[in-house]
Amino acid sequence: MKKKKIYTFENTILSLKQYWQKQGCLLFEPYNSEVGAGTFNPATFIRILDKKPWNVCFLEVSKRPRDGRYAENPIRVQQYYQLQIIMKPSPSEIRRTYLESLNHIGIRLNEHEIRFVDDVWEAPTLGAYGLGWEVWIDGLEITQFTYFQQAGGIDLSVIPVEITYGLERLAMIVQDVSSMFDLKWNADLTWGDVYRQNEIEFSRYNFEKADPKFLTSLFDTYEAEGKRLLSEGLVYPGYDCAIKCSNIFNILEARGSISISERAKMIGRVRALANQTAQLYLTQNADENELEAVKAK
Amino acid sequence: MIDFLLEIGFEEFPPAFLKNSAEDLSTKLTHILKGKRIFFRSVRTLYTPRRIGTLVLGLTRKQKPQIIEIQGPPKKSAFDDNGKPTAMLLGFMKANNFKLSQIFLKEMKKGEYTCGKKEVEGARTHDILYEEVPKIIRGLEFPKMMVWGDNKDRFPKPVRWVVALLDRKPLRFEFAGVKADRYSSPNPHFAFKPIRLEKPREYMNFLRHGGVVVDPNERRRVILKRLKQEAAKMEGKPVYTDEMIEEINCTTEYPEVVTGEFDEQYLDLPEEVLMTVLKAQGNLIWMKPTNKFITVFSAKKKALQNVKKGYTRVIAAKLCDAHFYYENDLKQGLERMLEQTKDMMWLKDLGSLHDKAMRLNQFVIMFKSVPEVDMEILRRAAQLCKADLLSEMVREKDFTSLQGIMGGYYAKADGKQEKVAAAIKEHYLPRYAGDALPETKEGTVLSLADKIDNVVGAFLSGNRPSGSYDPLGVRRNGYGAINLIDTNSISISLFEVIDKLLKLYKKDFDKKIIAEFFTERVTRYLQDKKFRYDEINAVLATWSGDVTDARMRCDALKKLRGKTEFAKVVIGQKRVRNILKGIDKIDEVNGNLLKEPAENKLHMKGHETSAKLEMTLKSKNYSEVLNLLLAMRADIDKFFDDVLVMCEDEVLKNNRLALVNYINKLFLRFADFSQIVIDGAKQ
Repeated sequence: MKKKKIYTFENTILSLKQYWQKQGCLLFEPYNSEVGAGTFNPATFIRILDKKPWNVCFLEVSKRPRDGRYAENPIRVQQYYQLQIIMKPSPSEIRRTYLESLNHIGIRLNEHEIRFVDDVWEAPTLGAYGLGWEVWIDGLEITQFTYFQQAGGIDLSVIPVEITYGLERLAMIVQDVSSMFDLKWNADLTWGDVYRQNEIEFSRYNFEKADPKFLTSLFDTYEAEGKRLLSEGLVYPGYDCAIKCSNIFNILEARGSISISERAKMIGRVRALANQTAQLYLTQNADENELEAVKAK
Repeated sequence: MIDFLLEIGFEEFPPAFLKNSAEDLSTKLTHILKGKRIFFRSVRTLYTPRRIGTLVLGLTRKQKPQIIEIQGPPKKSAFDDNGKPTAMLLGFMKANNFKLSQIFLKEMKKGEYTCGKKEVEGARTHDILYEEVPKIIRGLEFPKMMVWGDNKDRFPKPVRWVVALLDRKPLRFEFAGVKADRYSSPNPHFAFKPIRLEKPREYMNFLRHGGVVVDPNERRRVILKRLKQEAAKMEGKPVYTDEMIEEINCTTEYPEVVTGEFDEQYLDLPEEVLMTVLKAQGNLIWMKPTNKFITVFSAKKKALQNVKKGYTRVIAAKLCDAHFYYENDLKQGLERMLEQTKDMMWLKDLGSLHDKAMRLNQFVIMFKSVPEVDMEILRRAAQLCKADLLSEMVREKDFTSLQGIMGGYYAKADGKQEKVAAAIKEHYLPRYAGDALPETKEGTVLSLADKIDNVVGAFLSGNRPSGSYDPLGVRRNGYGAINLIDTNSISISLFEVIDKLLKLYKKDFDKKIIAEFFTERVTRYLQDKKFRYDEINAVLATWSGDVTDARMRCDALKKLRGKTEFAKVVIGQKRVRNILKGIDKIDEVNGNLLKEPAENKLHMKGHETSAKLEMTLKSKNYSEVLNLLLAMRADIDKFFDDVLVMCEDEVLKNNRLALVNYINKLFLRFADFSQIVIDGAKQ
């Protein structure tokens, strides 16, 4: 009998990266500040704004404070890995390329159900939205597949496709385990060995220990700083403040210290920074047609 | 005879409008064929999540030939004095290949002209379809569209292939950067290699081999049959609706079914929670009341074990989450959640959710006259109704739709009275037009009080709706409250209610603005109840905020409308009102100044009517009210015939105007009849 190949978590990540490298993607690395999703990485948010071709693949550490479950839920955690692919303009064969990537890491398409569940994707703090799908394998959501239509409040003229794999869940299918804590990271250690304590402690931090007063003032400070930097023509440092605000907002929300109406307002404040970033970037980098679009806003 | 296949292939389509889009494509195609005189034997509408298609069988190769008339020169220039054809006519004949015997004369607008008839051969079906099909595709309309890549054509999801095969020949037009051809696409679970079609008739069979059942009716039959077979193996009854089956049908190319299960401990969860989890997880059908569910999936049979395992795992995790929230909430209890609502701001400057609940607790006293309402139950429910918004369950986005419902469960678990729990559970109903209404009286009143509070709160916090801007759903809330009032025949003035509520808010606000909003909503409501706009305007012009009463008045008007008396009442009031136009200062009637018999008569009739109106208005017998007003018509007419109102004598004139005004006011006690449009009558 043929010996079954062992797919570790780290191997799954490696082979996916190699796969997309072969598709012509630049291999980028995670951002250096806390983000809720790879979309926040400037390699996505800023690079998708103009018309220039851009193909990139990078791992992102996604922090979702509200999703923490003190390591008690098998598929929900407050921090996980995403692998994000951006291809601009979206290639016509992208669907097949994506499905073959699953095959590449050991998921046989004839042995599973791959379902594309209709989804309008929105990132209200980034003024971004797109149309696409959640991709489910045997009922488990493992990818977000989106054609961006708008970012930073600007209608995009060349459309990028964003493919975001949830790596732990994907690996759960590959390794056929029912909890991400049981994933083999390498031959000796599991995901739980590496991250369990982190999960429990951060769940406590997010839900119980974070200091709302401190965070609220931090939010205000970063917002003011972001506005100032953008007004002085600094795209990346200004945007960095928007990213910080977004993460602080997420923790405050998990902590349960934002009311429903306050929530909408804070989202609006982060979005204002993101929109300004987008406009500033395009004013500095875009061709004339794009500038018209910016001015029309 | 030839066949035609059109298939537009795309990445998975939004299920909500797949079926309509496919039908639209077929309708437009057959419409063009008929319009272009191309005959066909049959047409089929086909769709899966990845394609919409039309298969037309038995087409003619060409359009039906057409006989057309061609106009030549006018008679006087066509023939010379001897009746011989002129050079002009000969030229016309030559150009059209006519013999002289084919030429005839025809009377036109500008005189007699020569004409010839000619049979024009029909154009090739191929050429017509090549021309028209791209136009049809570009002319399709959808609720939501997108762009992709760098092309400019829009569609609900990216178009990846088009098959346009006329017999054995593809029509190679281009759409959205795709060239139409003869290659279709199989189910990716089966293969990637495109399916080559030699001719349209191969379509359904070849696609079936590629894991695609293109006929939606066939898929629906298969789904229902498999469901039945699978369910028969187990205990319990599958819970599904036609809409669920259609949605499943729109998300599968090749239906298979498998049964999954969850831990029996989760059967303790409230049924609504269980159903919400299963529903959020796609095509899952619960075998009530067991711990099993059936999923319809769209892959190879080989995938069955993985699918079963996968769904079972996911459902376990989701139910684990739900259970986690539920247990925590029960541990915490409704009273503690209520405590926490103090820290949850409701709307800017309008205090916390707790303040809202306490306000409702006061506000519902306004409704104590509603029959069969247990005030104690109602006030207790009002106090507790927002507490579940602080429960972990409802704060989770998958479960926010369970607001109220969870409150009901937690109230019961907390040992509150059944009726309190029931009122809490129902107090968001109706959530949208056509939704169920509360069954209990307390639930009804709490719901409408809450909705009115939402409306007033929105206005006070600067969130009044305008145009498409209505983030708080103020219009929906207003409409819901009105629906509840009318459906339950609750007799209360919205204007007084708003007044009271503003006092509870201790806010200064122009209540007219809110009253206007409600009047607009009532207009909409009555329109939906099929009253005519002029009836509604007439009644609402003088209404006092009582929705049920307004509706009863509309009823009375509508009933009378078909009868001849209707115009009489309306015209009677219009005569009265017309003369008052532009006059602002009017005194009381002085009986001593009434000279003419007709004015005396009208005055007496007015008195008599006024006394009777008092009673009939009170008993809300509006048909009788209309009869009373109608009975004044003879005296009104007589008055206008015999008496000159605008006479020279200022004193007499003013007194007569006062009389007319007095009569007019009697009409206005029912409605402003001047708003009514009498069909076909001069105003």
